[in-house]
Amino acid sequence: MASFEAGMEGMVEVFIYESTTLLEQLEQILMRTESNNSFDDEDINEIFRIMHTIKGSSAMMGLSNMSALAHSMEDMFFIIREEKPYIISIQNLYDLVFTASDLLKAEVEMIQEDNYTPTDFSEHIGKIKAFVAILKDGSVTEPEQTAASSEDNSVTEPIADDSDMIAVRVFFDDDCEMENLRSLLLIKKIKEDCLKLEYEPSDIETNADSIKTIIDNGFLIKFKPINDEKYILKTIEDSVGVKSYEVIEHNNNNAENAEALPGFIDLESNTESYTGLTDAESSESADEPLQAKTDTTEQTKPITNDSSENLELPKSAEQINNLLAKSQGSKGKQNLITVNLNKLDQLLDMVGEIVITEAMVTSSADLKGLKLDNFNKSARQLRKLTDELQDIVMSIRMVPLSGVFNKMTRVVRDMKVKLNKDVNLVFEGEETEVDKGVIDNLNDPLMHMVRNSMDHGIEDDPQERIKLGKPEKGTVTLSAYNASGEVIIVVADDGAGINTKKVLEKAKRNGLLTKPESEYTDKEIFNMIMLPGFSTNEEVTEFSGRGVGMDVVRQNIEKIGGSVSVESKQGVGTSFIIKIPLSLAIVGGIEISVGPSIFTIPINSVKESFKLNQKQLIRDMSGKEMVMIRGKCYPLIRLYEFYDLTPKSTDVFDGMVILVEGGGKQACLLADELIGEQQVVVKPFSPLLNRYNVKQNGMAGCTILGDGSITIILDINNIIQEQ
Amino acid sequence: MNEDLYNELVAQFNAEGGEILMFTVDRMLYGIEIHYITEIIGIQPITIIPKVPSFIKGVINIRGKVVPVINVRARFGIPEVPYDDRTCIIVVELGEIVVGLIVDRVREVITVKPNEICSTPGNQNKSNQFIRSIIESNDEIKLLLDVRKLVME
Repeated sequence: MASFEAGMEGMVEVFIYESTTLLEQLEQILMRTESNNSFDDEDINEIFRIMHTIKGSSAMMGLSNMSALAHSMEDMFFIIREEKPYIISIQNLYDLVFTASDLLKAEVEMIQEDNYTPTDFSEHIGKIKAFVAILKDGSVTEPEQTAASSEDNSVTEPIADDSDMIAVRVFFDDDCEMENLRSLLLIKKIKEDCLKLEYEPSDIETNADSIKTIIDNGFLIKFKPINDEKYILKTIEDSVGVKSYEVIEHNNNNAENAEALPGFIDLESNTESYTGLTDAESSESADEPLQAKTDTTEQTKPITNDSSENLELPKSAEQINNLLAKSQGSKGKQNLITVNLNKLDQLLDMVGEIVITEAMVTSSADLKGLKLDNFNKSARQLRKLTDELQDIVMSIRMVPLSGVFNKMTRVVRDMKVKLNKDVNLVFEGEETEVDKGVIDNLNDPLMHMVRNSMDHGIEDDPQERIKLGKPEKGTVTLSAYNASGEVIIVVADDGAGINTKKVLEKAKRNGLLTKPESEYTDKEIFNMIMLPGFSTNEEVTEFSGRGVGMDVVRQNIEKIGGSVSVESKQGVGTSFIIKIPLSLAIVGGIEISVGPSIFTIPINSVKESFKLNQKQLIRDMSGKEMVMIRGKCYPLIRLYEFYDLTPKSTDVFDGMVILVEGGGKQACLLADELIGEQQVVVKPFSPLLNRYNVKQNGMAGCTILGDGSITIILDINNIIQEQ
Repeated sequence: MNEDLYNELVAQFNAEGGEILMFTVDRMLYGIEIHYITEIIGIQPITIIPKVPSFIKGVINIRGKVVPVINVRARFGIPEVPYDDRTCIIVVELGEIVVGLIVDRVREVITVKPNEICSTPGNQNKSNQFIRSIIESNDEIKLLLDVRKLVME
């Protein structure tokens, strides 16, 4: 940040935050609209606004390069908004915007570094300008046939004179039949008395299905009468078979439609019904005052890229969902505030302190032996309140996974283009919530895994899939759900599955095998792909195959206290299963003592605890101790040996044995004593200690108990693996 | 704290002088610039962390913060002595790392002028590798510690 003037540092932070949020918004809009190939006016406005803000704020920060890029984007969307040009290649437009968004994002990230030098964006700006030039050329009126844009010019002007258009919705008698023909007759009758006439559905002559539409939604006629509208209305009223009709003020359309979901559909159809006037009115449109145009944009008029032949009312459910999602989104916005994560961390720390202090006060040694009814009553109340407070603070920090999942759509999009593989990305349970601290660490691992699934998982040749009876298009599923205090995230593909033979061969070549090949179970082989320096792909690609990916994934997940496992079936697919703790901050734990030290075992890992009897202890040939419980054998880990501590007694039968589970394996731990159970606040180790691999030695963090003493939280996974 | 920033601070100290806290370890006088120091506390109950180098004695609880402590004697390779009521923990903060240094006793804060700072001793052996410079004032020799090296390396 050295390049900013003194006093600007505070603003830089705000700028970075603001720009990142805006760019994320932009990306969401792009992803949403690209999936159904349509921009509506609101989206265009939003993009315009985002670019405008970024332009302004980056200019203020003296970042002229960012400002220039944003400016060119703003210009482009200004033209799209105001002139509604015919967009020949919407894909090009998306590519331009995506690239610009990426460039800006990268720039914002670079600003945070110390030696920041502005990047030159002139190349991309040039591309945008070239595109704008094409847009301008193409902004001549286009016939309605194809795309988004073509409607643009038609959308603008009917609004201008729709004040004198009258819309009437006609309903026919319930069993009159041949509604389409009746409609046609009706149109013919009133045609002579109208200056202009449109109707919807407009394909009554050709499309038999329009009957259903007319029955469901009525027959919509819009007309501009030559003389008196009453005359026309009378004609409608007197026609045979007409049950009822209603006059709709065009301007009230939105309100009227808002009553039901089909509102969207109606809007859609309105746009279509304007088509008739395009040619006649297009010259006028250019002369319309700007005011009229801004009005247009305020109404939600989707500009679809679908061919207008497709007049069927039922629009894809996707689009409707989109609309719903959007309205929910905008509703939600008003009730949110943005808080610095540090403050939340502080709050959580504070609450942790209160929980501990509360325990300190109520279990104070001074109170021993005293009969304090009132005190105990108040203490219970306090306990209840602190518990609630803790729950609330924890819930504040919970964030749905959908944010991280949505970012994957972008990854998939890029991969699709580069790998030339068509893949469906499916989300399940993306509303599952996880602590913010966990979320931040999930992005990279998930990205690696999704890339991996697309690159290695899904078959390169669609023919192979068809042969196996699978759909041609592969599917990558991201799912999440809660299970016993953990969140489980699964990245699954329906691809070729892991070829165990290939993996073994590769592991052998890389010298990763530690026992004879035949002794490896499938599960062990699957887990090999997460060893450092392993990659089965023949060629190193841009996305995966450097043999670091899956190893990094495992490390990152373990860093946040989680674990990764692999399941795969040849020909059916592969799943990566990530288990992460719901929250990093407060866990239930069981305290045990080993010599002078007290350790906390997360309660999730504890199966049972008991005193050992003679019969249960078994030694194998090498002197390794095993414990037999209900016919199953578990290895015994003496914690004092594991940590080089001096225990009270080295006799197994004096101590307490705790059966624990971690990473799919079980083991028995030997401790001196069981002290108790308590909710504890996890404090991460100082970076100083992390340098000495405390994590690899089975210590996940530490915690402060009610009496102020510190205990170490054990990481059972690691202990079981290390022993 | 990254190296560049630390070096900058060192250069600034060498040029302008500053205040240092004096303390003794094995009867030798050492100093640390006071801007690294957040507080000085008496010896506390220390929770042992297994499987770390022996000079890291464990962690202590400072108002709800878990802070690792380094025994400076052990760090220097000098035989350790039992803690007494004069034993102090100097809490220093180096960027994101907060660490307690266990020293025999703490003396006073003195102001060092630039001309009192002598250059780094040439031959770096085990016992003086943490000394950054020698300070000679009031006819007394004081050794200014390289905090970053002491804690981070």
